[in-house]
Amino acid sequence: MKKVILVADDSPTIRKFVSISLKVKGFEIIQVADGMQALEILPSEPVDLIITDLNMPNVDGFELIKTIRSNEEYRELPIIILSSLSSNEEIEKGIQCGANAYLLKPFDSKRVLYEVSKFLN
Amino acid sequence: MMSEENMTQLFEKLNDLKKVFSYGEKLIPVIHSLGEFMKETVPLLENINQSIAESTAKIPKATNQIQSVTSATEMATTEILDLVDVLNNDLINIEKTMLDVLVKEKDKEDFLKSLIPMLNKENAELFIDDFLSKNSSAEKLGELLLQVGKMKNDSNNIAVSLQVQDITAQQLATVNHLIESVQEKLSALIEDFDNTKILDNHEINLPDNASFDPNARYSKSSVPQQEVDSIFNQKSQKASQAEIDKLFS
Repeated sequence: MKKVILVADDSPTIRKFVSISLKVKGFEIIQVADGMQALEILPSEPVDLIITDLNMPNVDGFELIKTIRSNEEYRELPIIILSSLSSNEEIEKGIQCGANAYLLKPFDSKRVLYEVSKFLN
Repeated sequence: MMSEENMTQLFEKLNDLKKVFSYGEKLIPVIHSLGEFMKETVPLLENINQSIAESTAKIPKATNQIQSVTSATEMATTEILDLVDVLNNDLINIEKTMLDVLVKEKDKEDFLKSLIPMLNKENAELFIDDFLSKNSSAEKLGELLLQVGKMKNDSNNIAVSLQVQDITAQQLATVNHLIESVQEKLSALIEDFDNTKILDNHEINLPDNASFDPNARYSKSSVPQQEVDSIFNQKSQKASQAEIDKLFS
């Protein structure tokens, strides 16, 4: 059965690029444009991993991760941050919220695949 | 009857009054030139005000154009990424087919080589030199497979480079945000000057809840990611240690 990855990013370019990079390895990709949509879709779709941006309208990435982690059901769900924010404070905030990895934009598809396969092997 | 002292005071006051008039006489040309200066300045200020008002009114057009540039590049980038996706899939299929052909070619070669012991020495040499070496496609297929691998790598690099669109979109959103602030300030200035409201007629329509990183930069250097990894590893390890301590306390 295909592993399902939820990609939350307000940039269609990034969603498409992540999708292309992961589809090749047989992952099923669900794309959403913000944290709100991600939270709406989560209860209805069996998701194995989340890749999220931090700067998003409505519900940002930090809020999304915190909300997910506050739910017992998703405590162990792997979450990878994909963002252009690179200050120490933002990285530490990402860790405190409960992210499992932090990738900077622009990123290499091989690195994304490596991080994803670490959690979904 | 006025006393001598009162008369002296009266003359002093009159003298003071004379001085005031005399000063006033001197002041009149200055006030006159000030009036002239004001007369000349008012149209100038009105011109400045008019220019500011016109420039402020043009700002929404500029922000809309920036917004449409972002939308257009976003659409074009997605289209290119779709093509890269198709190209990648085609290359994967070509690679798969070529690998199949290569395996069959090797099998064929092995089979033909197995026939060599059945031939006499002279025919065997002729067979190896003329037939096997001239008709083997394995080497060429290997070279082509390398080319396909290189093309796959190139198409991946194109896709990676297209992320520049996301970064520039964030930079343009930052510019739009700054322009919006400038327009607000200029409009307030004009409103103070002649009670004209610019924003009522020329509002900027930026997307609601627009979110962007004002410091977004496009860089292919691996150093920033290494720094992030280092911070992430340090902090995550600390978190893990804290969890272990908590478990065994």
